[in-house]
Amino acid sequence: MTATLPPGTHASADDPNVLLQDDFDSYEPIPPYPPRTEREAEFYTLGDGEMYLNMGPQHPSTHGVLRVVLKLDGERVVDIDPVLGYLHRGVEKLCENADYHQTISQVDPLEYVSSLFCEWGPVMAYEKLLDVQVPRRAEYIRVLSGELNRIASHALFMGWFALDLGGLTPILWSFIERDEIVEMLAALTGQRMLFNYFRIGGVNGDLNHEFLSRLGDWMSRAVGQIESNTKLLNENEIFVRRASGLGVIDTDMALKYCMTGPNLRATGLPYDIRRAHPYSIYPEIEFDVPTRTEGDSLARYLLRMEEVKQSLRIIDQCLEQMPDGPIMAKLPRLLRPRPGRAWAALEGPRGLYGAYAISDGTDQPFRLKIHDPSFIHLQAVGALLPGHLLADTMAIMASLDPIMGGVDK
Amino acid sequence: MDRALKLRLETRFGEQLHGPVRQRHDETEIRIAPADVIEVLRALHDEPELGFVVLADLAGVDTGDTLQVVYHLWSGTTGDWLRVTAEGLPREDPRAPSATFLWKGAEWMERETYDMFGIIFEGNRDLRRIYMPPDYTSFPLRKDFYLADDAARSPGAGVRHMERTHAPTDLVAGSVRRSKA
Repeated sequence: MTATLPPGTHASADDPNVLLQDDFDSYEPIPPYPPRTEREAEFYTLGDGEMYLNMGPQHPSTHGVLRVVLKLDGERVVDIDPVLGYLHRGVEKLCENADYHQTISQVDPLEYVSSLFCEWGPVMAYEKLLDVQVPRRAEYIRVLSGELNRIASHALFMGWFALDLGGLTPILWSFIERDEIVEMLAALTGQRMLFNYFRIGGVNGDLNHEFLSRLGDWMSRAVGQIESNTKLLNENEIFVRRASGLGVIDTDMALKYCMTGPNLRATGLPYDIRRAHPYSIYPEIEFDVPTRTEGDSLARYLLRMEEVKQSLRIIDQCLEQMPDGPIMAKLPRLLRPRPGRAWAALEGPRGLYGAYAISDGTDQPFRLKIHDPSFIHLQAVGALLPGHLLADTMAIMASLDPIMGGVDK
Repeated sequence: MDRALKLRLETRFGEQLHGPVRQRHDETEIRIAPADVIEVLRALHDEPELGFVVLADLAGVDTGDTLQVVYHLWSGTTGDWLRVTAEGLPREDPRAPSATFLWKGAEWMERETYDMFGIIFEGNRDLRRIYMPPDYTSFPLRKDFYLADDAARSPGAGVRHMERTHAPTDLVAGSVRRSKA
């Protein structure tokens, strides 16, 4: 039988009539080369009764193109090996070869559900390099649009998380919310997703009538809508019992794993850059930093829902205190910051976004390092999963809320 | 920004610092040798009056001549940002100690830095490429590696086998940007 097959092909194990290319053996879990590190050798050695299972990169619930090799003992996860890089675009290298203004659109697609925060980091770092004072109205607009983006991102998280636990309804409900917000941001910025709105020294456009009328319309019913959305899940016994006790993290471990944002605050530490090291106009605004102590998946979910309410408070105050004035600082078209280094950190929906920019006096950044919380949080999945059931892998991963665009820079 | 922090760092690390403690905007920067990384990071993390418990970022930098590893730390005690730059890693064999003994989460950041710059972190037990495929041979964020439209001229390119076997003889190697900061 095998002698009659054309060279370079073999018969499929499922259907002997189907011929497969020999080199098209794509997602074999075990890599076809000797282990490169101690850890890889340890992972790719099977113990008694263990097996590998490849998940992704096209798995619908991996939130993007993530591949995870699971080592299983029956239905229990023993160890995991995430394989990244399917979405790697080399954004940092592209930014080194682009004008300062052009880098803003390069960093936009990193975390595509919260693009404004991806822009904010580099823009803040460049402003430090240039020693430029951003007009107060521009700062208020930034905070206003940023908090709207945070709500949109958390709404999407709620839907995804419930979807990964097996509930279809919440994602439809949360998309109603998200759609209204992205539509009003589209009225402000011109784009629904990759806004490209912040500029070095300000923002691209002033508040307009359509944005404000959509915002006012939505704000009048936002609280009720968010309440009813969360009631759908918070009082759902299946959801609550499924999510509580999953993937428990304590504060020490969270700090060891460099976690920030809601995932750290769900362990009880109120570390929020907006309060811990204030930037922009956050010192002038009243809001609370909610924390929870359980540190499990349910706590992370509930904490994000609390944050949505705080964001609504911030938006209210922004609209009330919004000063008049220019929205852009006076800057030349071609920026040549003096040689120097700057670090900017801010609190995004997923945690600490950082940007480290080095200038060498030319019109292109010498180095731009983007720090993305998704990358860090995905790493902790490896420590959280062992011992849990296979069906819980996605629930735990989703509760940390990584976005693959940010993980693979 | 905290002037007291500058004094404290100077008295605590005196000899180990390269150059003065620099402060600009809300950041403080110290420069050290890669051999001192373990000692300095441990002191910054453990000593309660310093208390830098949050590792916010770990970045590699190619200055054009040598490589650097840059740590951004945040202090829970004083609320300050501190940048620790381990400088002067040679291009041929850049080695720095791993920070995973304090922050397990540095593991992937070091993998990324290794992938992009080829810096070998001693003590990291999983130092393999994270973004690029395993058979990749270049370190793309180094300054002597150019973007694709310019890659044939880049002296650091190792992947473009076609261009390297048929290297155009009249092409002058491009110049490498060097840091002034």
